Amino acid sequence: MSTPVLAGQPAQPAPGTPRRVTAGPATRLRSVSGVISVVAAALIWIALLGPVITLFVHLSPSAIASALRAPGALSPLAVSLESGAVTLAVLIVLGTPLAWLMARDRLPLPRLWEAGVLAALLLPPLVVGLLLVFMVGPVTPIGEALAHVHLSATNTFLALVIAEVYESAPYYVLGAQAAFGGVDPRLEEQAGLLGDRPARVARRVTLPLAAPGLAMALAVAWARAMGAFGAVVIIAYHPYGLPLQIWTSLQETGLPSALPFALVLLVVALPLPVAAYLWSARARGRRRD
Amino acid sequence: MTIASVDSMITMNSRSRRRPWSLLAIACAGLVAVGCSSSSTSTTSGSGSSGTANVAYAGSLTNLNEKVIGPAFTKATGHPYLGRGAGSKALSAEIASGEISPNVFESIGGKPIEALEPKFTNWYVAFAASPLVVAYNPDSKYASDFKAIASGSKPITDLFTLMEKPGFKLGRTDPNLDPQGEAFILMLMLAQKQYHLPADTVTKIIQGQPGSANSPTIFDETALEPRLQAGQLDAASAYLPQAIQLHLPYITLPATISQGDPALKDQYATVSFKLASGEVAQGKPLVVNITTIGKKDSSAADRAAADAFVAYVLSPAGLALHKQGGYVLLPLKLTGSMSAVPAAVRKDLGG
Repeated sequence: MSTPVLAGQPAQPAPGTPRRVTAGPATRLRSVSGVISVVAAALIWIALLGPVITLFVHLSPSAIASALRAPGALSPLAVSLESGAVTLAVLIVLGTPLAWLMARDRLPLPRLWEAGVLAALLLPPLVVGLLLVFMVGPVTPIGEALAHVHLSATNTFLALVIAEVYESAPYYVLGAQAAFGGVDPRLEEQAGLLGDRPARVARRVTLPLAAPGLAMALAVAWARAMGAFGAVVIIAYHPYGLPLQIWTSLQETGLPSALPFALVLLVVALPLPVAAYLWSARARGRRRD
Repeated sequence: MTIASVDSMITMNSRSRRRPWSLLAIACAGLVAVGCSSSSTSTTSGSGSSGTANVAYAGSLTNLNEKVIGPAFTKATGHPYLGRGAGSKALSAEIASGEISPNVFESIGGKPIEALEPKFTNWYVAFAASPLVVAYNPDSKYASDFKAIASGSKPITDLFTLMEKPGFKLGRTDPNLDPQGEAFILMLMLAQKQYHLPADTVTKIIQGQPGSANSPTIFDETALEPRLQAGQLDAASAYLPQAIQLHLPYITLPATISQGDPALKDQYATVSFKLASGEVAQGKPLVVNITTIGKKDSSAADRAAADAFVAYVLSPAGLALHKQGGYVLLPLKLTGSMSAVPAAVRKDLGG
């Protein structure tokens, strides 16, 4: 969450404060608190990485091969990739305008809109799933409307996408809001004064400047969508994506057959966030030059 | 706090370079402290003077164990109780792989316990039956039919013709993970056989193949009953105690298909199907079994607490609470040799 914030907005000294001379790395390390803080940072970093390291320690190539060669073993991967892609498309189309309006304070009662997004973030995914049963179940107005067009939000691909959208949307909207917030509104105004229509301003000024932050927000949302479980297990027991495949393998045959799928999840979900991070870091570096 | 305000905080803090670092250090120290304190708590509860009954039980016992049996046991014996509910098969797999280490295991059916023999236990006692019922939604458009079938004014065979109607919203659990999901399919097979229903009745009702998890009627165990209570299903499989404890209206099934009578075990055994793993699911009485799980490194106090828990469950007081919870009590039946049973439990068995 905080990464897109940092990516979107490079910290700047407040106007009027004299610019301090920053100490070089050598000077900083010499101070005791400097050493402590680096050690602390390393500890947290390793602790965060702990589960991933454990995963690699406990996986043997033969276990991976036998789990992934089982018939139909890779269909959850396809399901996860497809639903993740649809989820991202939905977020881009619906979440981007909301994030921009929130960043530019164009909405009445702006705090209320933010609170709404935060509420979705705050609810445990399992609770979101249970509430979605009441909201989009077959015997609800939404469910009945869907049934008219021969769709259902119960144990279907649609249900999976809905659950993933709920689990990832707050991360995208808040990240995108920060990215748009980092774009100086005066640049947009100037482009407007020069005669550009709003759509052109968005295309030529706002989106290119916010792109690194937007990419990070999208990457975080992607990771959330790929790993979505709590709401998914309630409204979309089928079709299985990777998280549910891990869960059912664990229940059915135990840990050894579940772990290889965790690796697949990591391998599939990670490249996009990493690429987005590298790209946005480079874009920021270029802008500073 | 909004992203924007977090951001301005970061901007403010960047004026003094040292502060965020020291904040991080404090946060880290806090984390370590929390880690230490939580691990020390678990150590004391694990090996204190009064051992803990650490009970892994079939998910359908959750309500009864957490709200009734656990507190009553602690009150009667002074031993703390710690429970964990999940599918019996899943628990058995987790115990075998060492992921969890309970000292008591309550399972539906004997197989999940037998899978742990002889390493973890070599005996178990059957004490109650948990017959299958069909719970229904009182607001369903079929509610009047359900009521008529439940009261006996319409034949039970009507239930099966109702359930195979297109658009009927049925809920059940995954037969590959949950014994109830398995038992529900076996129940339909028994009914199809006994009532001479058309050969495709079972597959029509479950909307898929028996051993497959791919059906719109399958839900996670956690989601099934809430979905029925939310009015989003017409009917769902349930154990009798679940239906009673959750106050769900239900249709009692005849003993010949409900799998709740140990005396009919030969009749139940006439139906079977293959699970996705290739394992064969065969009809058997839905009996609650209990045993202790022994580990070499478990303390004597914990072993005593485990024995006390089993003894309490099998005592007249414990059995009466199970009866109130909707379980059908059975004469206690030991599988394994009496000499393997802990002394505290033996007196319940009359040994």
